[in-house]
Amino acid sequence: MIPLSWYLGLSALLFTIGAVGVFIKRNAITIFLCIELMLNAVNLTFVALSSYFGDMGGQLFVFIVMTVAAAEAAVGLAIIISIFRNRESLNVDEADSLKL
Amino acid sequence: MNNIGINYHSILPEAITAGVALLIMLVDAFMRRIERRIAGAIALAGLTGAAAALYTLRNQDGVTSFNSMIIVDDFRLIFAGIFLIATFLTVLISLRWIEDEQLPTGEYFALLMFATTGMLLMASANDLVMIFLGLEITSISTYVLCGFRRSDTRSNESAVKYFILGSFSTAFLLYGIAFIYGATYHAAATPVATTNLQLIKERVAAGHLFSPEMLFAGAAMMLVGFGFKVASAPFHIWSPDVYEGAPTPVTAFLSTGSKAAAFASFARVFILTFTATSLTGALSDLHSVATNTLAVMAALTMTIGNLVAITQTNIKRMLAYSSIAHAGYVMVGMAAADWKAVAFYLLSYVVINLGAFGVIEVIARRGDKQTEIADYSGIGFRSLGLSATLSLFLLSLAGIPLTAGFMGKLLVFKSAWASGFHALVVIAVINSAISWYYYLKVVVVMFFSEPQAEFKAPRVARSLIAALLLAIIGTLYLGVLPGRVLRALDQATDQLKAARK
Repeated sequence: MIPLSWYLGLSALLFTIGAVGVFIKRNAITIFLCIELMLNAVNLTFVALSSYFGDMGGQLFVFIVMTVAAAEAAVGLAIIISIFRNRESLNVDEADSLKL
Repeated sequence: MNNIGINYHSILPEAITAGVALLIMLVDAFMRRIERRIAGAIALAGLTGAAAALYTLRNQDGVTSFNSMIIVDDFRLIFAGIFLIATFLTVLISLRWIEDEQLPTGEYFALLMFATTGMLLMASANDLVMIFLGLEITSISTYVLCGFRRSDTRSNESAVKYFILGSFSTAFLLYGIAFIYGATYHAAATPVATTNLQLIKERVAAGHLFSPEMLFAGAAMMLVGFGFKVASAPFHIWSPDVYEGAPTPVTAFLSTGSKAAAFASFARVFILTFTATSLTGALSDLHSVATNTLAVMAALTMTIGNLVAITQTNIKRMLAYSSIAHAGYVMVGMAAADWKAVAFYLLSYVVINLGAFGVIEVIARRGDKQTEIADYSGIGFRSLGLSATLSLFLLSLAGIPLTAGFMGKLLVFKSAWASGFHALVVIAVINSAISWYYYLKVVVVMFFSEPQAEFKAPRVARSLIAALLLAIIGTLYLGVLPGRVLRALDQATDQLKAARK
C-alpha cells in the first residue's frame, strides 16, 4: 500500500505548482486554472486523509469544495469575459488602470 | 447518528435573507423592470425580519443544530446584528444611486441579500465546512457586485483582481482546513476525524491529536487565508485596487460588512477555538505563536495602511488604505483575544465608514467621476451639510473623542494593554496620530481651498439622507452613550468559553 505521506507530498507539490503559477502566469484563464489546481490539491489531501482514517467526513468535504469551485468558475469566467469585451486582452499586466 | 438536529428556528435569519433574495429575483423576472423602490423595500423588510428572527433566538444560548453545523450563542447574535446594520445602510445608500446609474436593480439587491446570507452563516458556523460555505457565498456575490458596472474598465478590473486573489486565498484557507481535519484524528473517538470547532477544541485540549505539526501547519494556512480576507498586511495588496474600482456603495459594503464577517470567522477560529486554556503541553506553543504572529501582523497592517494612505490622491483609494489601517487596529484586539472589543470596534467602523462612503457616493456622481481629493476643494461652504457630515465621519475614523471611532480604539487598546501587548499599543497610538494627517487633509481641502468654479451642490435623495442621519446618530450614540452597548457586550457569553467553566 502506498503510504499516506506520498499522497500528502503529491498534494503539497500540486498546491505549490498552482500557487507559483498564479504569480508567474500572465493570462487570466491560466491563472484561474492554477487556482483550480490548488483547490484540487486540497481535495487530494482530504481524500487521502479520509481514506486513511476510514472517515467519510473528508470525502463529503470534497463534494462541497467541488460544488463551490464550479459556482466560482461560472462567476469567474463571466467576469473574465466582461473584461475581455472592454479590453480585447486577457493579459493581466495590461489591466493596470488602477495602479498606484 | 440518528438525530441530525434539524431546527429551522436556528437558521431563521439566514433563511429570511436568502428567501428575500430569491423573492427579489422572482419579482424582477415577472415585472418588466423592477421599480427600485419595490426591490429596496423588500430588501429592507427582509433585513428587519431577519433582525427580529435573531432577537427570538436570544434565549437559546448554546443550542447547536444540523448535526452541530450551526450554533446559537451571543457571539453569533452580536456579529449577525452588525452585518444586518451594514447591509441595511448599504441598501439605503444605494437606492437612488442604482437608478441614476441605470444598472439592473433586481440583481443588485438580490446579490446584496445573498452576500448577507453568507455573512450571517459565517457568524453562526460551528464547523469549518460552514465557515467555508458562508465565506464562499459572500465572496461569489461580492465578486459580481464589484464588476457590476459592466461597461466600466475600472469596475471590470476590480472584479477580476478580487476574484483571482479571493479564490487564491480561499485555496489557502481550505488547505488549512484539510490539515486541521487531518490533525484531529483520534482512533478512539467518533467521528475519528472532525472539522467541528467544538470537537477540535476538545481534542486539542485533551492532546488527542494525530500530529501536532499538522495542526500548526493548518493554523498557519488558515491565518494566511483569513489574512487575505480581512486585507491585513502582508496580504493587503489587492484591496486598494478592488476598493477603488468597485462602484462606491459596493466599496462601502466590502470594507464594512464583508470585512466584519471575515473577522467574525477569524475570531471564531483563532480566539474561541485555539484559546490558551484549551492547549496543554507542547501545544500551548500554538496559542503563543498565533497571538505573536497576530500582533506582528497587526503592527505591520496599521503602519503600512496609515503610511501609504498619506500619499493617496484619490479619496476611495485613501479610504481603502484607511480600511487596511483599521483592520490593523481590529487585529490588535484579536491578538489580545478579546472578541467583545473586536465586535464593538467593527460595529463602530461599520457605522462610520458607511456614512463616509454615502457622502463620497453622492459627490462622485454618475459613473464615479469625481473621486479625486482635488475634486473636494472648496466645496465646504457650497454644500455645507454634506461636507460637515463627511468631516464628522473622517474625524471619527481618526478617533476624535465623543464619537464611535474613539470608543472603539479605546476599548481595543485597553484590552491589548491588559493582555501585556504594551509595545503594540504604543505603535497603535502612534499610528492613530499619523492617521490624523490624511483625514484632516480632506477636511482642510474642503473648507480652506479655492473652490472649483463648476461645482454645484448635488441633489441628495431622501433615502441617502436617512442613511446619513442613521450613521450620524450611530456615530454619536456609540461615542457619547456607549453604556448600553457595552453592558450588552459585557453580559454576552460565548458557548465555547462557557463550556469550559
